[in-house]
Amino acid sequence: MSLQEHYRSQARELLAAGAVKMVVGYAEGTTPERRRPVFITEPEECSRLVLDARCRTNLAGYLLREGLLSDGREIAVYLSTEGVRTINILAAESQLSSAQVRILGFEIDRDEVKAMEGKRAADFSEAILAHKERRKKQAPDELAAKLEAMNAAERFTFWQGEFSRCIKCYACRQACPMCWCRRCVVDNNQPQWVNTSSHTLGNLEWNLVRAFHLAGRCVECGNCGRACPVDIPLHLLNRKMTGEVLEAFDHYPGMDEHQEPALASFRKDDPETFIL
Amino acid sequence: MATLLYLESLSDCFASWRKEGLTVLAPVGEGALSGFREVERAEEANFDLLITRTTLKELFFPRTEPMLGYRIGKREIETEEFMPPVEGRIIFGARACDSAAMAIDDALFDWDYHDEYWFRRRESSVVFTIACREPDEFCMCTSLGLSPDSAKGSDVLLRPLEAGNGWQVEPVTDRGHKALSSIEQHLREGSGATAAPAEVPVKFDLEACRSWLANKENFESPFWREISERCIGCGSCTYLCPTCHCFDIQDEGDTYQGIRRKNWDSCSFQLFTMHTSGHNPRATQGARWRQRIMHKFNYYGGKFDVDSCTGCGRCTRECPVDMGVTETLQTIAAKQKQSERT
Repeated sequence: MSLQEHYRSQARELLAAGAVKMVVGYAEGTTPERRRPVFITEPEECSRLVLDARCRTNLAGYLLREGLLSDGREIAVYLSTEGVRTINILAAESQLSSAQVRILGFEIDRDEVKAMEGKRAADFSEAILAHKERRKKQAPDELAAKLEAMNAAERFTFWQGEFSRCIKCYACRQACPMCWCRRCVVDNNQPQWVNTSSHTLGNLEWNLVRAFHLAGRCVECGNCGRACPVDIPLHLLNRKMTGEVLEAFDHYPGMDEHQEPALASFRKDDPETFIL
Repeated sequence: MATLLYLESLSDCFASWRKEGLTVLAPVGEGALSGFREVERAEEANFDLLITRTTLKELFFPRTEPMLGYRIGKREIETEEFMPPVEGRIIFGARACDSAAMAIDDALFDWDYHDEYWFRRRESSVVFTIACREPDEFCMCTSLGLSPDSAKGSDVLLRPLEAGNGWQVEPVTDRGHKALSSIEQHLREGSGATAAPAEVPVKFDLEACRSWLANKENFESPFWREISERCIGCGSCTYLCPTCHCFDIQDEGDTYQGIRRKNWDSCSFQLFTMHTSGHNPRATQGARWRQRIMHKFNYYGGKFDVDSCTGCGRCTRECPVDMGVTETLQTIAAKQKQSERT
């Protein structure tokens, strides 16, 4: 049985038994290349669920939809390793209870989709550890290497050029499962902390504020880059920050649901004198 | 006999216009980086693009623009009004869907208030539209009563020659005639065969959609929640839409000095209708998507007798979660037909 079929029947059983109230997965999209998020509540609708190498969107963010988990019931969701790490972070940040999330785990290896065994986020710790080790050794891609080779002024010019295309549609934020603030700092208008204008300063402020806010939290799922309608390589910023935090603190976001956030925790015995 | 403009003379045309002090803009770049930018020579333009990622509207209604500068002193208040320059522009190579959107938005910007920012730019710009030869799967101009060779909102319509080496020229407005007279020496009289315009299939019955939307019972239909369940509430569809025109006014600076700006805004955003009290009349994404569809295909038509959509398809083409106007209207049309049968 293909993994798609296997998970369809699991989803059907879970819904029929009342073990979960909803399955969040993927369905076919407008074109043969497209997949779209789908929310299934009836067992007979499970035949709509698709799983293949085109299923790239990290669906974890949908679980934070207002009120969705407030009744304490479980929801099943298709998640890759990045998605499971997202659940761990969201649990660590008190945004959800991992006991309410029934995982249908998968990994995409080139063009193939493979099963990842486990039901709860805690069951995936080995896979996550393997990802961490791989991430430590990962070489930067071509554009990232080019940026590393630039001096600060050249890099600033590069990013100003990229950000000049930003239209402030906030697709990056809306697509990001880590951007769960009920009221984003840019939506605070009394006072207006960040310019809403899509001019040079406003675009720079917005994209840098977001990058800082994701340092040590981003799972590198790629939702932001895929959502950006003007193809700003936002993932490069987030990857850079992730690499820095990994190197400085050996912190890989989303290892488990008890992991303390890198930039929101401290130890009294920290060797840096400014801590205490 | 028809008037022809050959591609090989286009750079000379650009030079003639530029000599008169006009700025020439054309579609440039590929994919997500494409848009209308200033060009000097024909080679810089990309006429192979089906459609630019960002729309023509940006040239008339920028993402952000200063309206007013203020400085409050001890004795007096100084203000400075910013108005866009009225330098002439040639916009060469727009698509019919983008040009038609300008005509649709004219009604809004000249309704209860005559928007100088919009009309100064409109009146100083000449839009040359190139009829499309090939649609993609998201194009739907014909579903909105338009066509790939519609001249609506254009000053000059260009029909590609079959040989691909130029265009047949059809002036539409006085502004168009005037711009053509500046390049008269580069135009030829001839009878080159023009390529057939793109065949764009009709994707939904617009009349049926209008009827369903006009039925007040459907305002609270569960359909709105269902169709927008996966919507993430970003502004991609509205900001890439050639007709979406909502804006916000923001003061940048402090109590004593600053600049008042006009910035794009989107009905997809939660903040769009948030009251100071914290109450939000459009509290859910379903209510916000309903507003977008109702505004385009019910309210706008009621006020201005035209729908606020040209079928460019960008909303579906670029949606991060594969939504868009097309599927919504297809579903609505089917609902209406079903209700007519029963």
